[in-house]
Amino acid sequence: MTIASARDRRVSTGIGQRSEALAAYAFIAIPMLLFLVLNIGSILYALFISVFQWNIRSGAGAFIGIANYQNVFKDPIFIRAIQNSVYYAIVWVPLTMAVGLFLAVLVNQKLRGRTFFRAAFYFPAIASSAAVTVLWIFLAQPDGLFNGIRGALGLNPIFQLFGFAPNQNWIGDSHTALNSVILLNAWTTSGTFMLFYLASLQTIPGEVYEAAAIDGAGSWQMFWRITFPLLKPGHYFVATVAVIGALQLFDQARIAGGTTGDPANALMSVVLYLYNLAFFKFDFDRAAAVGLILFAIILTLTLIQRRLFGSAPSW
Amino acid sequence: MRRSVLALGASIVMIAGACTSGSTPAPSTGGTTSAAPGGSAEASGASAAPSADLSAITGTAKLSGWQSSDAENKALQDTVTAFQAAYPNVKVDYKVITGDYPTVMATNFASKNVPDLFYVDASFGQPWADQGFLEPLDDYFTKYGFDTSAFFPGYLAPFKGSDGKTYGLPKDGNTIGMAYNTAEVQTAPTSLADLVTAATALKGKDGLKAPICLNPGLDRGLAFIYAQGGSIVSDDGKTNQVDTPQTKAAVQWYLDLFKNGIGMTASDMGDDWCGTSLGKKHAAIAFEGGWLDPAMSSTYPNVKYAWGQIPTGSSGSPVTISYTAAYSIGADSKDKDQAWVLLQFLAGKDGMTKWTSGGVALPSRTDVPTPTGKDILVAQAQFAKPGSGFMKGYGDVQKAFQDAFTKEIQDKTYNADSVIAATKTAVDAALAS
Repeated sequence: MTIASARDRRVSTGIGQRSEALAAYAFIAIPMLLFLVLNIGSILYALFISVFQWNIRSGAGAFIGIANYQNVFKDPIFIRAIQNSVYYAIVWVPLTMAVGLFLAVLVNQKLRGRTFFRAAFYFPAIASSAAVTVLWIFLAQPDGLFNGIRGALGLNPIFQLFGFAPNQNWIGDSHTALNSVILLNAWTTSGTFMLFYLASLQTIPGEVYEAAAIDGAGSWQMFWRITFPLLKPGHYFVATVAVIGALQLFDQARIAGGTTGDPANALMSVVLYLYNLAFFKFDFDRAAAVGLILFAIILTLTLIQRRLFGSAPSW
Repeated sequence: MRRSVLALGASIVMIAGACTSGSTPAPSTGGTTSAAPGGSAEASGASAAPSADLSAITGTAKLSGWQSSDAENKALQDTVTAFQAAYPNVKVDYKVITGDYPTVMATNFASKNVPDLFYVDASFGQPWADQGFLEPLDDYFTKYGFDTSAFFPGYLAPFKGSDGKTYGLPKDGNTIGMAYNTAEVQTAPTSLADLVTAATALKGKDGLKAPICLNPGLDRGLAFIYAQGGSIVSDDGKTNQVDTPQTKAAVQWYLDLFKNGIGMTASDMGDDWCGTSLGKKHAAIAFEGGWLDPAMSSTYPNVKYAWGQIPTGSSGSPVTISYTAAYSIGADSKDKDQAWVLLQFLAGKDGMTKWTSGGVALPSRTDVPTPTGKDILVAQAQFAKPGSGFMKGYGDVQKAFQDAFTKEIQDKTYNADSVIAATKTAVDAALAS
């Protein structure tokens, strides 16, 4: 009797578990289906488009193999777009990560009004990027606020040492346009990275700091010997998100430099180049090839980052 | 088990909802077509014998385009009202396309869900025709006896496809003229030498950042290349003419305006375009089209300015460039005949007279009265050459020129050779395509 009820319970539990599993799979089915259709399906469809002469009205024409991929690399504007995107990623990612980490460590302290500062630092991230970019253009124009302030503070001689005129056209000049957009995005995105790092900071056990304090470690040592290395999973996550975002630069470049990446291709990014091919030249097959090249670059860099930061430290 | 059934049901409902929400068939505008031969065509602009009756066509025509101001919207609504009075059998369903017009139209072309009649900028005329997005109009001209000779040639040319057929009729047009602040410049310079003399005299005047506001590209520079006998391609569009001595001299002359402090870009003056520079008195002379007038009267009503022709250069002939947009019928339009009824009215004499009387556009036809104060800009249409859409791949040529020209200005080297070389490469590539 006892054995039979135990078996019944097991059977009943088994049915319950299967039911739960089925429910879970059913719920997962929605995002998985959307992921397969909208992500994987789109990638496969882009691959298909990229090897044909494609007309958006009549569909596939002649099979051209890898000709689109070859032609893209012969275009100096595409090469410039790659250079710009890579330069942007190399400068913007570490800069924004550093600012985000600094802000996270700052607002992680027991300071008065830290909730206010957390909200204030995050605020640019939730503002419309179009609105923020227009504001930035306004601030950075020749008779804008930035030039006005440096003039009032008497800093113009220092800027002139670096070749910047008192009425420097920061976004309209091809020598300074991309760096201006890098600064803009470092400002708007560092709040988001602050939040990511803040979440990572909560995972570091307090005992580690207590032990370090007993051993006589100072704040600086604690940061470099404990906080920074133990944030390795956070670094990986933030760096991955940042690199993907950097290589997908579009809206700020489009607003500040127009569809042609002005001035003189200084703001031509890979995604802007793709957008021009697709929607202004209706060259969708070549645009699909550019999309897949960008996908390959991002995938490769993500795998490299995973190799560099992927394993979490043990303590 | 019940939970899993419930979850699966919820999934199916959500996915089905997501998949079907955008696929509801649009209600058909319907409309019947019975173009009986021997009827009458819209009289305006028609010189050939009419051969079909437009009044027998009934239904709805969907009309779409961009819209830049409330005044433009009112002018179009008034014109559509006039059309409805003349052709009560064809209703007009007008929808403004907001946002990035080419991008929105690309999705419309891809889904084959296009308006029956829509705006086509001259720069998109040839590419859209070559992609098969636009309906050729030549058969309509023949069938309904519509004469296109009343259009200024420079306005009609960009809508000829590579096959020689016409894919759009210019809804209006604008030429580039010289707007000058009458407080600074008393008499309009009539030659390029006079222009340089007048501008040099203005250098350093209080408030002026530069005497002339200039665009660093062919969208204005082409007028000065033509004025000095240069060109980009030959008239038949087959030969590269960028590296001729005339073109090179003209580009160098244009660069020298920047080098000598006579000209400056609007961007370097801290302005968004040269109209703002003229309005804020950062510059005394700007080369713009009729769109300048509403901007000046609404934003800078106290700045007095006048229009002059583009000064004559070494070519000895008056010349300028023009910009336009057309009404075109979509190749995938469901109601092409209804669209034609609307098109022949809007691009005809009566429709265009109504449209241009709204004060926001200039006529593209020779038989439409010139709006008050627009004499010079309309008169220039007689000799204006298209400022865009006159060759395949011109967008790439413009970009190559502007990128190289901007670099020369910003590097302060002011050498035409690199501009000519970059532009020549782009023209060769465009001609080869």
